[in-house]
Amino acid sequence: MSSRLALIAAVVAITVLYSLPAFAPDPYVLHVLVLACLYVIPAVGLNLMLGYTGLVSLGHMGFAGVGAYVGAILLVDVKHGFWVTLLLATLAAGFAGALVGAICLRFRTHFFMIVTLAFGLLAFSVFNNWDEVTRGAVGFPGIPRPRPIELGGVRYTFGPLPHFYYFVLTAAMLVFALQRLVVRSDFGCTLMAIRQDEKLAQAKGVDVMRYKVAVFALGAALAGLGGLLHVSFLRVAAPASFNLAESINAVLIVVLGGAGSLVGPALGALVFVALPEYLRMTAEWRLVIFGALLVVVTLFAPRGLAGLFHSRNIGVRPGSDTNVK
Amino acid sequence: MMKLLAVEGVRKRYGGVIALADVSFAIEQSGIYGLIGPNGAGKTTLFDVIAGNTAADNGRVIIDDREMTGALPYRLVRQGVARSFQECRVLSEFTCLENLLFAAQPKTLGHGIAQIFTRRDAHRRAALESARHLLDLVNLTAYADAPASVLSFGQRRLLEIVTTFIMRPRVLLLDEPAAGVNPALLETLDRALRAMIAERTGVFLIVEHNMTFIFALAHEIIVMHQGVVLERGTPEQIQASPRVVEAYLG
Repeated sequence: MSSRLALIAAVVAITVLYSLPAFAPDPYVLHVLVLACLYVIPAVGLNLMLGYTGLVSLGHMGFAGVGAYVGAILLVDVKHGFWVTLLLATLAAGFAGALVGAICLRFRTHFFMIVTLAFGLLAFSVFNNWDEVTRGAVGFPGIPRPRPIELGGVRYTFGPLPHFYYFVLTAAMLVFALQRLVVRSDFGCTLMAIRQDEKLAQAKGVDVMRYKVAVFALGAALAGLGGLLHVSFLRVAAPASFNLAESINAVLIVVLGGAGSLVGPALGALVFVALPEYLRMTAEWRLVIFGALLVVVTLFAPRGLAGLFHSRNIGVRPGSDTNVK
Repeated sequence: MMKLLAVEGVRKRYGGVIALADVSFAIEQSGIYGLIGPNGAGKTTLFDVIAGNTAADNGRVIIDDREMTGALPYRLVRQGVARSFQECRVLSEFTCLENLLFAAQPKTLGHGIAQIFTRRDAHRRAALESARHLLDLVNLTAYADAPASVLSFGQRRLLEIVTTFIMRPRVLLLDEPAAGVNPALLETLDRALRAMIAERTGVFLIVEHNMTFIFALAHEIIVMHQGVVLERGTPEQIQASPRVVEAYLG
């Protein structure tokens, strides 16, 4: 897809998404889209790790939980304001990511995956069992939506569904903008080099460990942001939102949508949330369907749904050794 | 005199195998140096020790008069060491031009993070000219925007060598650049290496098994045998040395 076509597609998609509440005020549709946005934000973080750097983390939603519970405690127990909390919860998840990353990243490939899996399980048991702080398995109730803000005399509340929809949609858009900035930068270029050949990146002067910890922290911070918005939407933090199955779902979303593509997480999350709703399935069937879908995708579209739209034009014929003048 | 590259008493043993028994030499003048020797002489191990990919058991590595023993590869790069690999490594998903621009860009994490937001690309534009020049030097201009995966093995070697050169190294380590390269590309390689050393001072240390190639190219040859330096001298001296002939050239 040429860059102009991609730009047009992006503008159309953004216009449709923002004007949707005006044309189709069906709360059910908006509810599904809010959920898709809430899945997309951690997925972008995971895409930077998995898609661009080649780090498959199986504990990603554990960091979403860190953001969610730190946020819940700050909002409910400490009674901080929402925006300060949003910032602090994101930073806390990022910091947790840097710490856990510094440990997990000493391992490579499948060993790394196992250690991140262990972190995810550990985080879940903390959320589930530390009753005094996280309120345990029953969940952490009473998490507020952001307070109304006033801009130029106009009062904007976050209670009604369309308003919250605009809020999370904008948050998701900003996260996508950040993803694009990161990927197009020298930093992103280095991440992609690490994924392709770590030894070469090192031989070109990259301190691979530091870059990996940095992207792990960034991914975890985005997960934390998504986690806090998620519990603010549901008004309750439940450990089950941040368990192993959710972490695997995040990987599914990224791989299904197209790991290492800018729009991949959006396509993945949309299909992941909307398809089961459309098919009226229960959540139990979701993994079955997506397992099958994943097999199909890996067989026929190894670069995910986004890869179907993308083809790299190669202007010269394949190499031969006969290019001597 | 300043030591551009020196190793002193370097030893390395893998289990019961002695890869490097005791290697010492110093290079004080810029130029092309050939490192030859039979298989198992320890040439690649020595490269790995100098480039920081392997830690030596004993001995010192000195780059530009500064001790760099045991430093990690990225630190050595910042001290001016660049290397190519025997197995040839390029970023196959990047285009040839992107491979060069990546090699040229500053690699510190601070730069990387700052550049996300400042989006300054003056360094990219500055490197672009040099990248195009180097692609031209190895006849890869037609492939500038093609992913490196479409290149033939020989072309990948050439690309890898120019990506090391664009890093402006003072010590350039090339591990068997001529291996797997067909005779036509060999000429391109020879011409490119001569042009590169003429452009900038530095030490090119080249491990090579193709004797015709390296004897024609190198200013000086270092011969390794069973983990030690057997002989050092100009190509003519080496070819005449009875010890080298007995141990290696036959």
